[in-house]
Amino acid sequence: MMSDGQPRPSAGTGQITVSGLTKQYKNVRAVDNLSFTVEPGRVTGFLGPNGAGKTTTLRMLLNLVTPSAGTATVGGSRYADLPDPLRTVGAVLEASSAHKGRTGINHLRVICAAAGLPKERADEALALVGLSPAAKRKFKGYSLGMKQRLGIAAAMLGNPQVLILDEPANGLDPEGIRWMRGFLKGLAAEGRTVLVSSHLLSEMQLLADDVVIIAAGKLIRQGPVDQVMASMTHGVRVRVRTPQADDLAAVLREQAATVDADPNGALLVSGVDAPTVGRVALAAKVELHELTTERPDLEGVFLELTAGKAEIR
Amino acid sequence: MTLVRSELLKIRTTSTWWIFGLISLALWALTLFFNWLQTEALAGGDFGEVPADQSDQLQAVSAADNLAANLYTNGQFFGLLIVLLLGIVVVTSEFFHQTVTTTFLTAPHRSAVMLAKLVAAGVLALLFWLVTTVLNLVTAPLILNSVDVGSQLGSGAIWRAIALNGLAYLLWSVLGVGLGVLIRSQIGATVTGILFYLGGAIGAVIVLSLLASRYGDWINKLQLLVPSLASGLMVGGDTDIPGNPPQWAGALVLIGYAVVAGAIGVATIRKRDIS
Repeated sequence: MMSDGQPRPSAGTGQITVSGLTKQYKNVRAVDNLSFTVEPGRVTGFLGPNGAGKTTTLRMLLNLVTPSAGTATVGGSRYADLPDPLRTVGAVLEASSAHKGRTGINHLRVICAAAGLPKERADEALALVGLSPAAKRKFKGYSLGMKQRLGIAAAMLGNPQVLILDEPANGLDPEGIRWMRGFLKGLAAEGRTVLVSSHLLSEMQLLADDVVIIAAGKLIRQGPVDQVMASMTHGVRVRVRTPQADDLAAVLREQAATVDADPNGALLVSGVDAPTVGRVALAAKVELHELTTERPDLEGVFLELTAGKAEIR
Repeated sequence: MTLVRSELLKIRTTSTWWIFGLISLALWALTLFFNWLQTEALAGGDFGEVPADQSDQLQAVSAADNLAANLYTNGQFFGLLIVLLLGIVVVTSEFFHQTVTTTFLTAPHRSAVMLAKLVAAGVLALLFWLVTTVLNLVTAPLILNSVDVGSQLGSGAIWRAIALNGLAYLLWSVLGVGLGVLIRSQIGATVTGILFYLGGAIGAVIVLSLLASRYGDWINKLQLLVPSLASGLMVGGDTDIPGNPPQWAGALVLIGYAVVAGAIGVATIRKRDIS
């Protein structure tokens, strides 16, 4: 879907490495000895409740905020040491960051001029996010979704290996969110590194390959989405519906399964998988109406992981 | 150089510059009218009974050189205020519209960005000076000829006054950029800038002369340290007005302020967290 193909090879591995990163404000330790890595070719969700330190972390990674301790690098270099930052990293930090009286295309041309990019890149980037028809409209006339797209266009000007987005889904309508999801997945499929912060967990479950979960400035968990979810105490459950609930519960308990009834009359079985439940039911000649494997959603996992750590600071 | 081009493009792609241009054009016309009246009065030379200690000063300002210099630098009083405000806006609009994040992402070397802003504001200020000067070169000879003083364009003093006027435009825009970094709020910096400029010109004179009448005449010499007065002194005509310090001293004071403002601006922005 990219108009200009693969990211340039000069951008290095594109791995993001955060190591011992700390930001101490006067009374608050916004980020506390945080370490994690973000791999290329995958979409990584950077999750945490509001005020967890996500934005501060991203701003330290981008040399906008000075860390109190620790380092954050992209492809092994600090952002400030990158010879051509826009050609290595594209970032979308806040949707409302353009001069209200400037047109979208001019906003991008200003950036091109500063980065030494040809001004044709501005037109290409606008086309990439589907904003060409609004090129000559002033920024104050843009909808929130258009502003967000303009931010992405700005980030894509240098065709970077690494893309960093802070809460990109904020204020987007469902259509915009779906567009964003496809766009970011496409970038990762091309081998780019995509790091997306969010507190919208349901969105991350559809988008992210990996997650980094933080709360109160500390790392809670990092890993592939399915692994993080599988590691949860609430494991996989099997939902069964049957007219002979008591009979089935009895034979399942013989298999060392835990069986609970849900309010709607179905059984929630954990400790055995769905094929086992089916086999046991067949052997006991119990009639089944429903047999579903239920995985915990990321939201449940997230709430469990960050419980008690999201206090107002 | 790419950064300077980007900063100039930022100015060009918003309406600020031409709104400021129109305002300064109107103010230029207004001051031209008053300077015309003043020139006619001074060139007439009939002031009736003048106290002896003031007649020297009167003679100095009504010398042909000074009359002409005043007209060839017409529009300066408000022009300098305008370029001061432009310098302020070049910085504060980045904070107002939150574009400073993008700017520093594009160019992480913040001192380079600030230098580019200083250069861009300076270029714009010189452009304002150039347009005003061209207008003055058209209108001033007409007025001077009408009062039989002659265009005076052969006089080196006139050309020096015009050049120093350009220097003043440049320095005030630098002061504006420095002020904009120190006070990031667009309204706060603008109001401070206006007070700083007008208050400097009017308020300081009143305060200092009050103090001087009480503690002695030497306090009047402190007028030199008020930026707007130093600037006025710097661009004054060839003949030093009696009782006041030399022209170059005004230039030095103003350059000093500009350098300090620019340096503080660059140093402050380097370390600041952008969030």
